[in-house]
Amino acid sequence: MADLQDELQATAEAGRLDGRPAAPPKRKPKPSRRFQAAHPTTPQDGPPGPADGAEDPVSVPPGASGASGASGSAGRLADPEGAEQSDGLREAHAFLADHPVADGYSGLPWVLRHLPWYDLELGEGGVDTDVPRMREGHIGALFWSLHLSEPLTGDRAVGATLEQLDLVHKAVRAHPEGLRLVRTAGEVTDAHHCGRVAILPGPAGAPALGDSLAILRALHALGLKALTLAGVSWAGESGLTRFGEEVVREMNRVGVLADLSGASEQTIRRTLAVSRAPVLCTRSAAHALRPHPANLTDDLLTALGEAHGLCMVPLTAEQTGPSVGDVADHLDHVRSIAGPESVGLSGTYDSGAAHPEDLTDASCYPHLVAELLRRGWSPADLALLTWGNVQRVLRSADFTARAARDRREPSTARITDLDG
Amino acid sequence: MTGTSSLEEARELLREFPVADGHNDLPWALREQVRYDLGARDIATDQSAYLHTDLARLHAGGVGAQFWSVYVPSDSAFLPGAVPATLEQIDCVRQLIDRYPTRLRSALTAADMEAARAEGRIASLMGAEGGHSIDNSLATLRALYALGVRYMTLTHNDNIAWADSATDEPAVGGLSAFGRAVVREMNREGMLVDLSHVAATTMRDALDTSAAPVIFSHSSSRAVCDHPRNIPDDVLERLPANGGVAMVTFVPKFVLQAAVDWTAAADENMRAHGLHHLETTPEAMRVHREFEERNPRPVATVATVADHLDHMREVAGVDHLGIGGDYDGTAFTPDGLNDVSGYPNLIAELLDRGWSRTDLAKLTWQNAVRVLGAAEDVARDLKSRTGPSNATLEQLDG
Repeated sequence: MADLQDELQATAEAGRLDGRPAAPPKRKPKPSRRFQAAHPTTPQDGPPGPADGAEDPVSVPPGASGASGASGSAGRLADPEGAEQSDGLREAHAFLADHPVADGYSGLPWVLRHLPWYDLELGEGGVDTDVPRMREGHIGALFWSLHLSEPLTGDRAVGATLEQLDLVHKAVRAHPEGLRLVRTAGEVTDAHHCGRVAILPGPAGAPALGDSLAILRALHALGLKALTLAGVSWAGESGLTRFGEEVVREMNRVGVLADLSGASEQTIRRTLAVSRAPVLCTRSAAHALRPHPANLTDDLLTALGEAHGLCMVPLTAEQTGPSVGDVADHLDHVRSIAGPESVGLSGTYDSGAAHPEDLTDASCYPHLVAELLRRGWSPADLALLTWGNVQRVLRSADFTARAARDRREPSTARITDLDG
Repeated sequence: MTGTSSLEEARELLREFPVADGHNDLPWALREQVRYDLGARDIATDQSAYLHTDLARLHAGGVGAQFWSVYVPSDSAFLPGAVPATLEQIDCVRQLIDRYPTRLRSALTAADMEAARAEGRIASLMGAEGGHSIDNSLATLRALYALGVRYMTLTHNDNIAWADSATDEPAVGGLSAFGRAVVREMNREGMLVDLSHVAATTMRDALDTSAAPVIFSHSSSRAVCDHPRNIPDDVLERLPANGGVAMVTFVPKFVLQAAVDWTAAADENMRAHGLHHLETTPEAMRVHREFEERNPRPVATVATVADHLDHMREVAGVDHLGIGGDYDGTAFTPDGLNDVSGYPNLIAELLDRGWSRTDLAKLTWQNAVRVLGAAEDVARDLKSRTGPSNATLEQLDG
């Protein structure tokens, strides 16, 4: 049932229908009910809904309230800002309150591994991502990368990935008020409704499999949700080998998403052909605007759109450019080539990358959404961008796995059998 | 031998309190024989030509719970792959449980074991055989627990950096500081500390360290048969205070003195021919066959195993005994305990020796369930007071 309930457009519509009759029109705007329902921690006097924003002369931009989070209404009121920006930002906050961000990549686990102590709920200065700033940035779901910064291969990569998964479990358990580990699209929605940020472990690097499908299943049992198909013999420059294709089929069967950012063009094309579930590119922007190796050419973006995959544009200066406008340019481009159902966001915080101005940490998404609103993105497209597309991909992968499990036995194929 | 009536009574007893066996190497046998192709060794059909274990014989043997060993070799040639191979072994057990859902049931707790018994399914638990399976990482230890592993034998046949094995030269003299941290983390998670295969020094150190009861998943009595794989009396005597359980094993070369001597002579013969005693080349097998023709292999019987249990009951008490057959982990088995269908013969022998039904229920079932439940209780307590440890071998052992 959760799968049906989390249709985000439907929820928003229902909220709007409920909200209007309960709130008779006044000159002083009243926060919409759907806003409160989405964020129970937001006080009653929070920013008004997008339709009412322009009428409110008193309120000041919520985006400027720093790390005080969604509960920091006092900070908002005390902070003076230019009226024009305030309106745009306020509108962005109101929009994100209904349609939070599902963020495709965070390097936090590797950073936490090297911190002697941290408290993500209180706020953690040593990192770009903590619970108050995620609330400020309206992040509702977040992929936690299991990539290893040290170039480990073979058997060492398996052990190190187990350690990263242990760290993810430990960190999430240590912050039960802010974070919740999830496995399915339904659980993402449940977590969001409970006011928790849904944490999805992944992507891990392909070397984490140790070339074994049994290890893929074990990692999935420990929560792994996505795997980057690069850096191994079976997903190289010449594309997927026979074993590589078997890996993708087994990923479909258990419900692990393929991440193709950083994969070779041949691997991307072959995976799009083989995979029965939609794929992710967790950190890819438009190659036409910025020729970074992990960015996707228009050809690939078209192919990705046709396969209903998801290009998640990273907020990094290197891949997108130094300003919010640059990121928005990439989003515009990806939307126009791959389609509005194939574009997503990827903060890429705590990964060592430099970020565009005004997008320096996990609290900054309202700046980006304000820019997109200014450029005339429709609410429907924006909702798909921030939340809807990731939900669709996760749900689709869940369905594919459930169907495939009845059809296919667990694969025991070995790389030596298939690739010789 | 035992009469029909006691065999009948044994079967009836096992229907109520089935065997919770501490060690079965079916996963490794499936890996070696068919590389986990479970269709090629379908245990729903008769596998007596290839394996000690299949579902029909488990049923005939009155098995109600099984710790499936997720063993991987501990020799240095295999070591770098120990963690990945352990994951593959775990996956094998999970696949078995998925494949035979009406006969097997995944069990992670003592309550799960009881539920499986009530349903008439075999509670399937996992045990890792050797600390090499965690590659000196407490995080990996926790990952194994999260995947369902409920005991870890501290070593296999070879020493590891933090613990001495019974069948290797003394090195750290028991448990190192990191070894003790491993034991404490196992206590904290609720994973049973298994002291089969470890040196007596390691047994004593682990008993000093562990806050939870320990087990011996497949070890017999050293006083009855002097082999390093068996448990000395001074350690058995500590089990009542610890609450642990020693699960008697059937492996002839550990339980029968004549077999111990014969194996030593056979190994000596191999070395006299310039061969390593574990070699399996055609030449080595020929030398070994010739030796076996001149010196018939001594045969252990049900009575041999019962002798161990009698002594262990004397020393440790009936609340601290169990059974760990080591089927599919050993080439030879005693007469009457040839495969997993043989447990009723052992129970019948013990009935003939005057063991009470109460004692036998403890031996076959209740002690094993109790010890897992006790480990859970300790874990709950420790988790409320302490966080997970990330101590490293380098930090603690320098």
